[in-house]
This record gives sequence, C-alpha cells and structure tokens, in this order.
Amino acid sequence: MKTIIEAKRSGFSLNFREIFQYRDLLFMLAFRDYRVRYAQTILGFTWALIQPLLTLLIFILVFNKAVKINTGAVPYPVFAMTGMWAWSYFSYVIMQAGQSIVSSQALVTKVYFPRLIIPLSKSIVGFIDFLIAFLMLLSLMVYYRVTPSINIFVLPFVIFALIVLSLAMGIWLSALTIRFRDVQYVIPFLVQIGLYVSPVGYPSSEIPMEYRPLYYLNPMAGIIDGFRWSLFGTPLPDAKYLVFSGVGILLLFVTSIFYFRRTERLIADII
Amino acid sequence: MQAGIAVEHLSKMYRIGRRRSGSFRETVSDRFDNIFLKKLDAEDFWALRDVSFNVGQGEVVGIIGKNGAGKSTLLKILSRITEPTEGRAIIWGRVSSLLEVGTGFHPELTGRENIYMNGAILGMKRPEIKKKFEEIVSFSGIDQFLDTPVKHYSSGMSVRLAFAVAAYLEPEILIVDEVLAVGDAEFQKKCLGKMKDVSEHEGRTILFVSHNMDAVQNLCKKAIWLNAGQVSEMGEAREVCRNYLESIVTSNWNKKFITENSIPKIEFVSLDEDKIKEGEFFLRMGFKSPHVLKPPKPGFVLFNESGAPVFGSNTKLHDSPINEKALKEGVIGVSVKGITLYSGNYYVSVWLGDSYRDYDHQHYAIRFTYLSKINYTEPIVPSAIGSIDPLATWFVE
Repeated sequence: MKTIIEAKRSGFSLNFREIFQYRDLLFMLAFRDYRVRYAQTILGFTWALIQPLLTLLIFILVFNKAVKINTGAVPYPVFAMTGMWAWSYFSYVIMQAGQSIVSSQALVTKVYFPRLIIPLSKSIVGFIDFLIAFLMLLSLMVYYRVTPSINIFVLPFVIFALIVLSLAMGIWLSALTIRFRDVQYVIPFLVQIGLYVSPVGYPSSEIPMEYRPLYYLNPMAGIIDGFRWSLFGTPLPDAKYLVFSGVGILLLFVTSIFYFRRTERLIADII
Repeated sequence: MQAGIAVEHLSKMYRIGRRRSGSFRETVSDRFDNIFLKKLDAEDFWALRDVSFNVGQGEVVGIIGKNGAGKSTLLKILSRITEPTEGRAIIWGRVSSLLEVGTGFHPELTGRENIYMNGAILGMKRPEIKKKFEEIVSFSGIDQFLDTPVKHYSSGMSVRLAFAVAAYLEPEILIVDEVLAVGDAEFQKKCLGKMKDVSEHEGRTILFVSHNMDAVQNLCKKAIWLNAGQVSEMGEAREVCRNYLESIVTSNWNKKFITENSIPKIEFVSLDEDKIKEGEFFLRMGFKSPHVLKPPKPGFVLFNESGAPVFGSNTKLHDSPINEKALKEGVIGVSVKGITLYSGNYYVSVWLGDSYRDYDHQHYAIRFTYLSKINYTEPIVPSAIGSIDPLATWFVE
C-alpha cells in the first residue's frame, strides 16, 4: 500500500473503495450512536415509540378533529403516519448529520479515516428508526384494514430517493457547519418550517394550483406524495414536478459530495 | 513488503493573527475587506518549513524538539489528519497513529465495546480485533471492568486500554506521540517494552515523539531534532539527543553569587565536570559571613529533571572536620564517589547554615546535562527506577 500525501489533491475524487474499507467503522459509529442514545434514561428504548405516537396524536387532534381535513379513502391516522414515516427519517438525518462533524472534533483532529463516514453513519441510525416507524405504520394499516395499492412495488425506489435526499442535505449541512457554525442554528429552524411546507399532516392537493410550482421546490413534497401513491394509490403530482424533484435530488447529492470533499481537506485546520 | 516513509520538502503554513470564528458574517466582511481595503491582518506562520527525511523499513526514529517545534504538525501530516501546504510525503504501508491515546473512547460504552470501537477507528477489521481481543485485555489489565462503561474508569485505566488496542494493531508504520506523558511509571515501562518488541521482532517502522531522552535513545537508532519547524539535526539518536539536551539546558558547572555584609551567604558553587564523568560527584562551595559560624553547616541535594531528589548530604548527617571549626569565610568541598547516573538533566541546590539555623539557600544553583557512557538494552524511566545506576551484579545461587 502506497500513500502519497500532497498539497492540493484533485477536486472530485470520491474514494468509494476507501469508504468500503472503512465499513466496519461506519457500522461501529452507527452502533455507538444507537447504543448511547437512550443511556441514562428511565424509559430507554420506549422513547423510540413514544415520540412518533405523540406527534401522531397531535396531528390527529389538529388536522383531523379541529381542521377536519379530507384524506379521501385513507383513514387520517394512516395517512398522517405515512407522512411522518418519511419526514421523521429526513429530519433525523439532517439534524444529526448536520452537526456530526463538528461534534466529533476529538476524532477528526486525531485520527484519519474518510470523513464522509460520519454523516453516513447518521443515515444508518436514522434507518433503524425508520424501520420501527414502518412497523407502527403496518399495525395502523392492519387496524384500519387498509390494503396497499399495487403501486407498492415502486416503494423501495421512493425510499431510496428519500435516503439519497436526506444524505445529500445532511452532507451539505455537515460541511457547511464546519465553516459556518451559524448553520447549526439554521437547521432546527429548517426542520420546523419543512414540517409545514411538506404534505406531512395534510394532502398536497390542498395547495392551490398557482402555488404548486413554489411548493414543489421542496423535494420532500414530491417524496411524501410518492410514498402515499405507492402505498394507497393516491394521486401523484404533475410529472414535471416529479422530474424536477428527481433532478434536484441528484444535483444536491453530487454537489454535496463535491463540496464535502473540498471542505474535508481543511477540517483539522479550521474546526 | 516494503514499508517506509519518504518526506520531501514538507511545509505547513497556518494563518494566525486575527481570531476567526468562521461565521458567515465574518466571511462576508473579509471578502469586503479584500475587495475594498485590500488588506487582511493575518500573518503567515510556518509550523513546518522544508522538512525532508527518509525512514526505512523497521527503523525506529525518534522525533525530538521543544514544544511548538513542529513535531505534532509533522505527525498530523503523516497520519493524514491535515494536509501539507507544500512538499509531499510518500508512505509505504498501513499507518496507525497513537496521537493522544483514547481519542475514540465513548464514556457511555463499556470497555469491551470501546475496544471494538477504537479498533475500527484505527482501521482494524472486526475479525482482526476478535483475534487479538484476549491479548488486548490482558495487556491493559482491565479484565474485571470489561463490561463497565468507560466513564467509570480512572484516567490511567483508559490510557492503558487505548494503548493496548493500538499496540496490538499491527500496522506497518506506527506513529506514537507522547504516550509516556500519561499513565503510571510501571505502565510506561510496559509500553516502551512493547514498542521495542514490536520494532525488533516484527520489523515495524515506528515514529516516536517524546521528551524522554532515555526512551528515545533506547528505542531509536535514528533521531530527528526539529527546531522552529526545521530539521536542526538528524542522525544517530545518541548524538542528536545529547546535542538537543545540551541546547535546552545550558550546562552551568559554576555559579557565583552576590554576597552581602549583613548575613552569611554562599559566594560560589562549582561542580567538577571531568570528575563526574569518572563517577565522582565533586562539589565545592565558598562562603562569607559577617560573624563567625560555629561551625558552618553546608549541604546539597542533587535533583533530576522531573525535580525528584536523587541524593544529598550535609555535615549534620555526615560528620566532617568542619564541625570542629569556627569560620567567617572559606571554601568547603564534598566528594561522593562511585556515582553512575542515567542520562538526563540534573540540578544541584546548596544550603548554608550553622548549628542553629539556615542562612542561605540556592535552589538549582547548578544545572548540567549528563550522558551515560553505558548502552542500556532497556529504556530507562527514572520515575520508575530512579536516576542512579547502581551497577548491580546479579548472580545465581
């Protein structure tokens, strides 16, 4: 094995092989996060269930009981749970990945490993919660006797899009936070607004036509619509919005890695 | 397999001066300054400047120098934590660095989990760690606490665990920075022994940063002395260490003091440089007093680098013809024979008094660097074994 350490390595060279070599570390970091997450709590793992259930309850109270939103054939709890299923993964990954590099200062200033591992590990931790939420959704579907539509075979692709988008945002934010700590304060705000401008608790069909181009600038809108379409066969948004979302996600992902690589080289010096 | 390091004209520059928080507002205002004021009050600081050297396979090289000389920067570049500004380094083989051990420990995880965690951070595969697990645990001596969260460990315990993980890692190149600054003396010895073992029997390349000159001399054949970011000297470890030690402590074999008329004072102290090389500690001190001292009672203590007393004497303890005398001034000498010190820096403090009280005390009046002629096969840790070589003879009955 020969390594050359030089100033100014070429700009875009994502070393996938190296990341693969460090896969053990990737899973160890994810394991560590998961393991220490509920350390010294009384309820422990139960928190993983309580949080989404309480949010769901509030959604039911606000959108179903107070506002009486119409979700067609899909019972509201199932409808909202689907939105939350996708949204909570997204918000977890961007919140955790965003500050991940800065909070592992001790590590990155002392040992070398591909830094991308850190935000990547957060998406794995998020995925465990995602699976738990999936079980909760399944139980709700069984309880309300909702049969999935035949579009369900597309669901894995939609989930894949969600993962890529979350990662892209997470990587972008983690690299930005290294340089501008301000981003740390922007992220929670971003998540809060995102919850309102994405069809989590209400259907996107509630959005007036003239605002839709603006609405679908948020790629999560398309993804949550995709989730519901593949599960219940609810209508999809206009094709142009889907294409726009797809291209946007890809672009975000590629640029995130590019920017991360650029910042990565300076981490130890500026962190 | 070839393993080694080639460093070519390596330089690292930091911008210092203004404290930067890296906030967005600051970046914007910097840009503004750049465009409109054409001036930024940042200064360039070269932490490393044009450093070149080669380390061959199985070589153990010590890196010495004062704090801020660029040692850590060099190691950081070689372990790929930071990038050089100029020049390059070529490394053959897997590198593991031990920069401040225990880096990857998470306080909430147990010792067992942290072993796996730390191994993964250092680039080990799970089966590799599993294979070494027993050895790691027994080396660190934390068996009982394996399933206790590390936050309940003493600092010594976590250091032991961390070193153990790294020591059993088996990279081709091991970078070790100041492991000896922590841990108890016994463990330091264990670490040094392990490193020696690793380099001699397994042919691994080690870069070793330390302030312990005995350790450097014993572990390393070669040493690099960095000073202000540049290579000051490079070559045979003993030679480089001696020159370095001499440079940081200007040996001061004689010292004169200002005397006063009102109180008894020491006038001068002098230690015989040639005699100490022959194993004789030969100290002379002159004194002057306004009144007759009946008798004058002098004393001295020799201290080692870390300030621990090595030996001392005074005329209350060791009877002397002086005790029969009453003097106002004069020169008193003392000789201690058969003294073999280990290499290092030493200090001598002297006292002057009479039967009733102490009048004068000159702390660290003499400083000197001693380099042993003996080639020890084991690294010496003065805090564990003392500063005097008893030249013991071992026998079997």
